[in-house]
Amino acid sequence: MSLTRLLVVGGGITGWSTAAAIKRRVPKLAVTILPLAPPPDALADRIATTLPSVLGFHADLGIGLDDAVVRTGSLYRLGTRFEGWVEGALDYVHAYARHGEGIGGAAFQHLWARAALSGDAPPFDSLSPAAAMARAGRFVLPGGDGPLADYGFGLTLDIPRYTAMLMAFARHVGVEGHLGQLAGVEHDAQGGIAGLVLDDGTRLAADLYCDCTGPNARLHGTLGVGREDWKRWLPGDRLVLEAAPIADPLPMERVVATENGWRWIGPTQQGALYSAAHGTVPGEPIPIAAGASLEPWRHNVVAIGDAAVAIEPLEWSNLHLAHSAIDRLITMLPAGAPHPLEAAEYNRQALAEARRVRDFVLLHYATARRDTPFWHDVAGADLPDSLAHTLRLFRERGRLPFYEEETFDRDSWLAVLFGQAVLPRRIDPLADSVPPAEAMRAIAQRHAAIAQAVQPLPTLAAFRAAQSRHLHERA
Amino acid sequence: MAGVKPVRVVIVGGGTSGWMTAAALARLLPGRVSIHLIESEAIGVIGVGEATLPHIRGFVEKLGIREADFMAWTRGTFKLGIEFRDWGKIGDSYVHPFGTFGRGKGEVDFHHYWTRLRLAGTDVPPLEQFSYGCMLARANRFDLPLDDPDHLASTYGYAYQFDALLFAPYLRTIAEGLGAQRTEGKVVEVLRDAERGTISAVRLDDGALIEGDLFIDCSGFRSLLLGEALEEPFEDWNHWLPADRAVAMPCRTATAVTPYTSAIAMPAGWRWRIPLQHRTGNGYVYASAFTSDDDAARALTHAVEGAPLADPRVLRFRAGRRRRSWVKNCVAIGLASGFLEPLESTSIYLVQQAITALIELFPETADAPVERDEFNRLIDLEYDRIRDFLILHYHATTRTDTDFWNYVRTMTIPDSLSEKIELFRRAGRVVKYREGVFLDASWIAVYVGQGILPEGYDPRADAPDSGALIQGMQALHREITATVERVPEHLRYIDRYCAMAAAA
Repeated sequence: MSLTRLLVVGGGITGWSTAAAIKRRVPKLAVTILPLAPPPDALADRIATTLPSVLGFHADLGIGLDDAVVRTGSLYRLGTRFEGWVEGALDYVHAYARHGEGIGGAAFQHLWARAALSGDAPPFDSLSPAAAMARAGRFVLPGGDGPLADYGFGLTLDIPRYTAMLMAFARHVGVEGHLGQLAGVEHDAQGGIAGLVLDDGTRLAADLYCDCTGPNARLHGTLGVGREDWKRWLPGDRLVLEAAPIADPLPMERVVATENGWRWIGPTQQGALYSAAHGTVPGEPIPIAAGASLEPWRHNVVAIGDAAVAIEPLEWSNLHLAHSAIDRLITMLPAGAPHPLEAAEYNRQALAEARRVRDFVLLHYATARRDTPFWHDVAGADLPDSLAHTLRLFRERGRLPFYEEETFDRDSWLAVLFGQAVLPRRIDPLADSVPPAEAMRAIAQRHAAIAQAVQPLPTLAAFRAAQSRHLHERA
Repeated sequence: MAGVKPVRVVIVGGGTSGWMTAAALARLLPGRVSIHLIESEAIGVIGVGEATLPHIRGFVEKLGIREADFMAWTRGTFKLGIEFRDWGKIGDSYVHPFGTFGRGKGEVDFHHYWTRLRLAGTDVPPLEQFSYGCMLARANRFDLPLDDPDHLASTYGYAYQFDALLFAPYLRTIAEGLGAQRTEGKVVEVLRDAERGTISAVRLDDGALIEGDLFIDCSGFRSLLLGEALEEPFEDWNHWLPADRAVAMPCRTATAVTPYTSAIAMPAGWRWRIPLQHRTGNGYVYASAFTSDDDAARALTHAVEGAPLADPRVLRFRAGRRRRSWVKNCVAIGLASGFLEPLESTSIYLVQQAITALIELFPETADAPVERDEFNRLIDLEYDRIRDFLILHYHATTRTDTDFWNYVRTMTIPDSLSEKIELFRRAGRVVKYREGVFLDASWIAVYVGQGILPEGYDPRADAPDSGALIQGMQALHREITATVERVPEHLRYIDRYCAMAAAA
């Protein structure tokens, strides 16, 4: 048997992204979508904030900034400002950029840590060009050969317009839509799915099913696959989410630690994440059950997005994980009938990735210092081995261990660790080769160059308005 | 750094591992370490690790050595890959290149397109003819690679083939120049701290007591500190890698000085051929359960191409590794930590990785559990991946001509490997790693070279229409052939770049 028919179930960003990307990159497949409305807890479909990987995903599809950003009314974002996570410490911005270059055999992080331990280093995030821009409310696309040559940026999506763009794109590349409500799932003798029954009695069948229906996993959830529960590490189990557009937004969100979780204020949305056991927050709560499927791909069903991994939106990984699953599925699409070995390899990678994202989110809690029962509870939890090892090695000597399937790069880990005032006990001996005065000069130069480069830049709103003007003039 | 008391490092054993460690620590941790290396002229050096992997270049560069000087001194030649002969079946030959197939860019790996044409019944040349690195090797030509990603010369890397017996003294000069101290002597006793069990000192045969904070075991197979004193158990991999002896015999170079090492399958193992500037290294790695020392020596003598320069010399070993390489305040580097046969030239690579990890995790005191755990985690990763890759060479065969080949063909292999093989067989998938010694192209070369051909391919490889695909392949093939012809011959390049001193 060969793989010819693929059915995507789910009509949010995740479903349309899956259908569009697979059809675009493997045109010979017949791709059909059953666009069920995404439920409130499908965070990949609901959270407007995205990571830089969203642009790579667009690029693979051949969607440029004009279509993805300007025509959909999306905004650029450079990072997130974290406030109040460590009492008495400054706030910090986690942006997607390098903080400095190593000198000789000494990595930059060790040089900065040495300066910080001796008490005369500027804040770590002031050495990130993107963080400095974000704080100043300014934005340009990376370029040139100065300090603004290279950094990552994500998007704040206008979800209805963005979804409409994806739908149009999917139809354009040949995805077939099928309207209806899901009434039943039929299984085959192997335990996979034989077909779907709709409310009007229609039956839909395919060789491979992509479940993009959110945490309920209306297809994958019928297969009896095990799940690992992360609640003991990530106790936040309620989310409040509101649309709240700001007139002249910053290219970042503010994420503020609260008594029993955190709240955020973004350019178009705001909300809060909290632990119901530790109090409540006004607004309609959406339940969150942090955890991951142990086999997101089983038989002929692949769970994508929240159907595979449910995690709170801190650090905005939800849509990223969905995109990553789509890319992984495309590179592992079976040539013939789906085979358990391919599924096993896919699952190994997917789970390793999900656990490291969990570690990164958990890092914020594990290194936070606040004095309420919620924060005591999260600080007191036993950590997963991989994060415990990471923190032990970092606290001892400022080094980060290498793991496969890492989503957040070294600079991201450093931004949070240094941002939350975690400093190594001792400095790596390789830093010896650079005299402290020389390192300080390099740090001060970078600091000054960034400040100077950022000062004349346009505000985010001005930059976006100019972009829209150009697009209209060309049209 | 002012005020920091240097860590007293005692290295037991010279040879390649010992002097590589000494030179690297002295160069990269100046002021942090005092180095004392103990070696005995009476104990021989193994020194069969003459062929290396491209990673060695990073090591040479970090030590601040000029490549041409180093190659002239060690009478080195260039290495573009390894030729494997008679492995999948007698008569086969393929090159495992330090480079890619096709141009190595694009969303879908080149071998998927190649597989698509092959399965469609198109007459398509062997995969290696689409690897510029392989074809340079086959043509006995060499030039340094280029950075320009549009040029074919950006699609390969290279390593060295050199005289390991000259490498260690070369490093010794560097290490001693940087302040490393050397003492001639044999270790006769290892003294331990009664409370913590750490090593506090070693006593030499002349009675001298040498104290230290950190002990590096470079004593070779004997594993004097880690194995004998600390009794770290040995994990035996003999059932997967049954070769346990080698007979070595250098000879005069009678045929081409190839820019590659050859690994030629033999009745009970395989034979290496490593051409240097002044001689050719030869050896037969065999399983003593399947042939005798005498027969092995005879087979080697019969097979070598030039006049022998020494009598055959037998070495004994066992595939496997110590469960942990860093225990208490002792770090084993090289053969003292484990042994994998030199089929893919990984011996010096493993030494180098251990040294790099040790430097990056260099401890402050004798008791450094955090650094120790991370070091052991990294070394485990290296050993496990190389192990599977080596087993693949033996297992992927149709040979039935000897008991040895019948054994390795039918033996049970690790699950991690059988899954990798099956993934490739089904659709040409290679298990992806972000880091590790052998990446995609290496696995593809061995699979295809030893007859594991994909029965399917990545569906995305169906995108181009078949006429355009065939034309594109033909154009690449022509470009590779034409570009290879413009590259100098290997020996001529060496003469110009790094010829050994005439008197040597």
